[in-house]
Amino acid sequence: MPPDAPVAAAAIERQAPVVAPAAGRAGRLALGVAVTAIYVFLLAPVAIIVFSSFNPTEANTFPPTGFSLRWYAKFLDSAGFVAAFRFSLWLAVVAAVAATAIGFLTAHGLVRYWSRGRGILQSLAMLPMMVPHLLISISLLLALMVVPVPELAALIVGHVLICLPFAIACIVASLEGVDAQLELAALTLGASRLRALWEVVIPLVAPGLLSALLFTFMVSFGDVYIALFLSGPGRTTLPIEIFAYMQWESTPVVAAITSIQILLIIGLGLLIERLVGLRTIMRV
Amino acid sequence: MAKTILELQGVVKRYGATLGVGPVDVDVREGEFLTLLGPSGCGKTTTLHIVAGLLFPDEGRVVLGARDITRLDPQHRDMGLVFQNYALFPHKTVFDNVAFGLRMRRTPRAEIAGRVRRMLDMVGLPGVEGRLPGQLSGGQRQRVGLARALVIEPTVLLLDEPLSNLDAVLRKRMRLDLRELQQRLGIATIFVTHDQDEAFEMSDRVVLLNRGRVEQVGTPEELYDDPATRFAAEFIGETNLIEGVVAAAAGATVTVDTSVGARYDAFAPGRSLRSGDPVYVMIRPERIDLVPERPAGEVAMPVTVAKRVFAGDVITFELRTDHGLLLRCSKPSVAEYRALAPGAAVWAIVRDCRVLPRDGGGEA
Amino acid sequence: MVGESARSGRLLLAPIAVLYLIALIAPISFFLVMSVFRYSALELWVPTVTGENFARLLGEPYHRAIIVRTLKIALLTTVGCLGLGYPLAWYLARTASVWRGLLMFLVIAPLMTGVIVRTYGWIVLLGSEGTVNTILRGLGLVDRPLKILHTELAVVIALVHILLPYMVFPLFAALAGQDPDLERAAHTLGAGPARTFLEVTLPLSRPGILMGSALVFTLTAGAVVTPALMGGKDVQMLGQTIYELTMSTLNWPLASAVAFVLVLCQLAILLVYFRIGRGRAA
Repeated sequence: MPPDAPVAAAAIERQAPVVAPAAGRAGRLALGVAVTAIYVFLLAPVAIIVFSSFNPTEANTFPPTGFSLRWYAKFLDSAGFVAAFRFSLWLAVVAAVAATAIGFLTAHGLVRYWSRGRGILQSLAMLPMMVPHLLISISLLLALMVVPVPELAALIVGHVLICLPFAIACIVASLEGVDAQLELAALTLGASRLRALWEVVIPLVAPGLLSALLFTFMVSFGDVYIALFLSGPGRTTLPIEIFAYMQWESTPVVAAITSIQILLIIGLGLLIERLVGLRTIMRV
Repeated sequence: MAKTILELQGVVKRYGATLGVGPVDVDVREGEFLTLLGPSGCGKTTTLHIVAGLLFPDEGRVVLGARDITRLDPQHRDMGLVFQNYALFPHKTVFDNVAFGLRMRRTPRAEIAGRVRRMLDMVGLPGVEGRLPGQLSGGQRQRVGLARALVIEPTVLLLDEPLSNLDAVLRKRMRLDLRELQQRLGIATIFVTHDQDEAFEMSDRVVLLNRGRVEQVGTPEELYDDPATRFAAEFIGETNLIEGVVAAAAGATVTVDTSVGARYDAFAPGRSLRSGDPVYVMIRPERIDLVPERPAGEVAMPVTVAKRVFAGDVITFELRTDHGLLLRCSKPSVAEYRALAPGAAVWAIVRDCRVLPRDGGGEA
Repeated sequence: MVGESARSGRLLLAPIAVLYLIALIAPISFFLVMSVFRYSALELWVPTVTGENFARLLGEPYHRAIIVRTLKIALLTTVGCLGLGYPLAWYLARTASVWRGLLMFLVIAPLMTGVIVRTYGWIVLLGSEGTVNTILRGLGLVDRPLKILHTELAVVIALVHILLPYMVFPLFAALAGQDPDLERAAHTLGAGPARTFLEVTLPLSRPGILMGSALVFTLTAGAVVTPALMGGKDVQMLGQTIYELTMSTLNWPLASAVAFVLVLCQLAILLVYFRIGRGRAA
């Protein structure tokens, strides 16, 4: 997400929505049609995948000619896809936890201790988002040729890198909503710095930490660029497996897999809704 | 005199190149209510944070009892700090907020429950243990903040403008309640405020701060009657200041020639002044009596009422003297003064005037 | 400021600083420096300074065409994102709809599904047997399937779709951050909706436009997977060139030179952003 997103979220809370009164009926109608069309454009490719995953025929035709689960069955039969799916899950969990942990330290340091140089430092922390991921990945691959580090380590590091800006944005937004004096109050009451963090800060930024975890999970799970260069035999992520497959053929088995992925994302969205409310996710 | 329990010795805190505070010397005596009073930006909160250990001074020492605690972390100081916005933990219930300090001290669970209840009773908040801070009114939150700071039985209670977020009526009541509680517990207290009325009503002694320095320390009476500097005179209460030069000095009484030609005899207790010293003559508005006729056997001067401001219980007059000097004078709102309209001619008797040094010279 | 252990508190940034230095800045610097190294089939690269990679890159028509095509697609994608993103961001920033939260989520949601999923969706839509062609033929508008897939248009459409959220969020931040009284003030002073938009809303949203455009432009320029799948061999872009040079041709110095050009484009964009955007905003 762009670095301005937390600002955007803050703006939602600050400002009561206003509809320009002079927009005029015709203008509003035109805008309504345009916005609807944009949403159709945004959602059509995702919707079409779900439809065609239930399509019984080989060709990706629409409207579907029937209903079948054969592509899901085929996915489960494909050892390569299943292994890649599992590996992607594992990698995303590792990367999300690491990025959220480092992101918390960074966000806490930025918000509480670097009041002066914070603007520049926070922009620097967003660096992996500003640099094309292709470049990050290829440079890591090059580094592997010079410094002998296991490729898996480089893959994890690469994912942590691209996840960090998202984690930091989430947690910074969350920390800014927590009064710095609460930590001071805990100290004067006899809590150690660590204890104050554990008892006061972490519970209060828990929604931010959770959305950081979920977002970084999704970023890692959806990544292609890092894995494109850094995944090897036995360590192929799902997007790379799909990419490789799609360069040769394009059967609805891909639709089935991506539908599962979409389901996973919706599930995570609902989980956030249950736990902290969807509003929190908007803070990113 | 009660024993000193906390002392700031030559404390200096800089912010970058600029001087934040200091050097400041303050002592707090056992059981006393000491107020740090001053305008915003005078360094009173910084000083309080230095006492609490939230800031460490660049120079000087903080001594608690016989122990140097200058660089001791706040968690080991046993000071109860009540924040301006109370800083209650929003995710913890009132009970858990108050119990927090005791838990940090590993107090047994059964004891915690009893002490928290007793403390909440003491601050007048029984039965709210299970609520969250967000469900309390401003006044209740303030009391919870107080209970949280007091339950750990701190050696010193620190209050950072705790009344400034309350409405006017509540603020007045809390002043009395707070003072009463402090006296009942006999706990040494440092109170920070910019409100002179608050400082005077509650304090045993007041430390007046200006631009990071101590202007004057004393009881409220001392500060009001005998301000050490022009700042002290003007910050506390209404005052008439007239520039002048000492004409003659005899003991505690000096004769001053003022810039407008009038000559005053004034008290200058404890000051050694010589003729020729630049001074201010200070006259508090309520120390001027107004009489309709020239009084016999008293020094009086003829004045004209230039302006009259009615404020309910008090009427404030602006009086013009023959020398062209304007004096402020306040009188109770009774019939004889209500009758005085602008243009009325009366006689003014200055009951009490003091001298304070000018040009920053003198012994502050 | 939190108390006095501030100095040790600043060490909280140590992990990320070390990580970025070792895993981001050092490798990228090394990779970019390689652009002046000599290519060697045996040792991959020889650390002697040469300009031959850049000469080859800018001299050969094949590579020049790729650079021009990349810039063209990046520009079209940016314009496309701006055209779709602005009305969307404006609507989201001004609407009183109770669905606003959901609508915001729907903008983010595709972003979360990853590049592959969305690109695949477009393949299904735009293929010769795809939905769009089915509809067009059903309506009798065409008798033979249109070739949309494997054209630059297909690449631009998919990229606009994938990068749209990156445009919407800075725009939304800029628009939602505006004091609504400014628009009202313009109305009371006699400006109609169009004038108000042109004289007040649009100029004030300029930082958002620039930020979003800069992001989309650089992300497009570095795209590999979408052009590869949507464009095929016919629509080669710089990103794919880098990929092939490192993964199959193993010419790292030339790949580095290509990346260098990419980074230069990005720096140029950022420069424009800071000169125009920040200069005016301040």
